[in-house]
Amino acid sequence: MPVPNRLDRYVETEKQRHFSRDFMTGWEAYETWDEAAVGQSGLAQRTFEITEEDILDYNQACGETDPLMIDPAFARKHSPTGELLQHPIFVTTIAFYSLGEKGIGTWIRTPGARNPQQRIEIIERFRYGEIISTTITTADKFTQRGKPYLQMLLDFRNERNVLKARWWCSLILPETRADVARFANA
Amino acid sequence: MSISFGEIQTGHSFPPVVQSYAQQAIDHYALASLDMNPVHTNEEWAARAKVFGIPETVGHGMMTMSTLASVVTRAWGVIGKGGGSIRFIDAKFTKPVKVGETVTATGKVKQKRYYGPGKNWVQVAVEARDSTGNLIGLAEVGYNLPD
Repeated sequence: MPVPNRLDRYVETEKQRHFSRDFMTGWEAYETWDEAAVGQSGLAQRTFEITEEDILDYNQACGETDPLMIDPAFARKHSPTGELLQHPIFVTTIAFYSLGEKGIGTWIRTPGARNPQQRIEIIERFRYGEIISTTITTADKFTQRGKPYLQMLLDFRNERNVLKARWWCSLILPETRADVARFANA
Repeated sequence: MSISFGEIQTGHSFPPVVQSYAQQAIDHYALASLDMNPVHTNEEWAARAKVFGIPETVGHGMMTMSTLASVVTRAWGVIGKGGGSIRFIDAKFTKPVKVGETVTATGKVKQKRYYGPGKNWVQVAVEARDSTGNLIGLAEVGYNLPD
């Protein structure tokens, strides 16, 4: 299923240029609700180097207008870190980039998924040049009012193994691969 | 403006944040977050799949979470002038945000949490409503404030 071409006009970063945008390609390899096992843990497919352009684009997409968040020259002079300040939900970009298309946690890309709740903790600000590794742990799996919920804990650490942020990511998912297929082939 | 833990009162309200969920805004958020799920970006697929029972694209839950967090960070700063900073956000999404909506998020200080000098923080209750007043999301935001 092609991604609408109109999205090209928003491409601003190197990562966006190379990211696999079509979530319907390779869905057969995504982890599904019925396959996920609580306690299972692993490293995400890719690391994420923090760059100014990643932070700038996320802040702009959130509608921020504070020059400390959207004006790199102003931030170099006036920000407490000398860098753009990132929006607290910026970990979303790190997660989607890092998780990739195969293996643990790839259910985040599932067609037909619904988002019920999320919790993000910020421990330290991300800094330009840090290389972030994401550890994924399947944290919970349950049904509530007939809906299958899956939760993973994402731990974001820099190259010195300093924990920077944690995200308890929950989705309501199609239960089986056959259920995912119904959405993928819609 | 620098805000301190000592001077802030329970019930303190934040200026509202208003965010457009026009398709252009959703598209931009999709690229920025790299969440390119077709329920947000592909109108034809969304009309066929009806993930939320409606034949339209919807905004990202994480976009709503960003709007909720911005209520506090736009008022007090991602890093406050006196050294404050956001420590967590816990969000629930109660209704999908249909394409074309305008969302308004508001917040109030719910509790002051006394953890000792340099560790005190406040809990802010934030909620977001669509243009017809329906609740679409709510969050608790924890924010460290200088003493």
